[in-house]
Amino acid sequence: MDERELIDRVLAGDPSAERALYEAHVDRVFRLVYRMAGDLHQAQDYTQEAFVRAFRRLSTFRGDSALSTWLCAIAISVTLNGLRAGRRDRERHLTLEEAPSIASRPVEADPDLRARLAQAIERLPDGYRAVFVMHDVEGYTHQEIAATLGVQPGTSKAQLFRARAKLREALADFARD
Amino acid sequence: MDDEPLEEPLLAAAREYHLPPEPPREAMWRAIEAARRADRVRTPMRRWIPWAAAAAAVLATGIGIGRLSAPGGRDSRPKAAPVVGVTSVPRSNETAYRLATLDHLAQSEAFLTLFRASLRAGTRERLAPAAARQLLATNRLLLDSPAGQDRKTRVLLEDLELVLAEIAQLSPESPRDDRELLREGIDRGGVLSRLQTVVPAGMTPTRGDL
Repeated sequence: MDERELIDRVLAGDPSAERALYEAHVDRVFRLVYRMAGDLHQAQDYTQEAFVRAFRRLSTFRGDSALSTWLCAIAISVTLNGLRAGRRDRERHLTLEEAPSIASRPVEADPDLRARLAQAIERLPDGYRAVFVMHDVEGYTHQEIAATLGVQPGTSKAQLFRARAKLREALADFARD
Repeated sequence: MDDEPLEEPLLAAAREYHLPPEPPREAMWRAIEAARRADRVRTPMRRWIPWAAAAAAVLATGIGIGRLSAPGGRDSRPKAAPVVGVTSVPRSNETAYRLATLDHLAQSEAFLTLFRASLRAGTRERLAPAAARQLLATNRLLLDSPAGQDRKTRVLLEDLELVLAEIAQLSPESPRDDRELLREGIDRGGVLSRLQTVVPAGMTPTRGDL
C-alpha cells in the first residue's frame, strides 16, 4: 500500500492504518529524538507525543515534503520544547544556596574524548545542536535538515559551520593531537 | 565559509553521542493508541461546538425578531430583558460565538481581498453579490448574538455590514463608477485592514477566484 493511501485511511479513522504508519516511521523518529534527548524515558515521551500530534494534524499534511520529514519536524519541535521546559524546571528548582556553588563549580578535566565531546555538544545552542546531530551524527542532508527545521539550506550550513567551530574550540587539545 | 568536516577522531566520537537503544515500539504504541482513543471520544464534542454556535445565533435572531415584532417596536423595549437573556449564555457558548465570529471575519477578509483585486483588474464578478448576501446574513446573525455585545467587534461588524450590503446590491449592469466608489469605500473605512488585524495570519485563504 502506498503512503498516500495509508494517509487517507488514517484520515478516514482506520486505527490499523495508524499502526502501519507508526511502524513505518517510528525507528527514524525515535532515533532522532533520542539523539537530541539522550534519555530513554524522555525520548519515549517525545516520540509518543510527536506521533499523537502528527495523527491529529495529518489532515494538514499537504505532501510538500516527504511524510518522514514532516514527522521529524514535529518530533524535533516537541523534543526541543520539552528539553527547554525541562531546563526551565531545573533552573526553578535550584535554591539560592545551590546556585553559587553550581556557578563556581570548576570544569572537570575529563580525559575521555567522547565525554568531553558530549559535554561540548550539550552546550551548543539548540539550533546548532539539532543541525549538528542531524548532519554529522545522523547523516541528514542540508536539504532534509532545512525542510525539517523550517529554515533555509544556507542557514543549516551556517549553523553547522558554527557548531563545528565551537566544538573544535572546546576540544582544541584533542584536535591538535 | 569553511565547510571542513570534523576531524575523524572527533567525528567518530560524535557518532556515539547519545547512541540510541532499540526503540520501545510496543510500549510507545500502547500510549499512542490510548491517546487516539481519547481523541475519538472528544472529536464528536468538538464537532458539536459550531452547530451550537449556529443554533445559538439563530436563537438570538429569533429573540431579536420577537422583540421587533412585539407591540411598541424596538425603541420601547425594556433594556434589562434582552441583556439578561444574552448574558446568561454559558461560557462554553461564548467560546463558540467567538470562534464563529472569527471564522466569519476570516471568510469576509478573504472575500473582500478577492473582490477588491477583481475591481482593480476590472473583471465583472457575477458571484460576488450572492457571496456578499450570504456573508451579510451571517453578519446580521452575529450582530444580534452575544458576539455583537463586544463593542469593538460590534463596530467592525456594523462597518462590514455596510460594505457587504453595497456589494450585495451590485448588478452586472452597474456602472464602473459605482464599482470605483465601492473600492474607495472599502479603502476609506479601513474595513479590510481592520479585518486583517483581527484575523490571525494563515486563517484566510486569499488565493483563487470569486
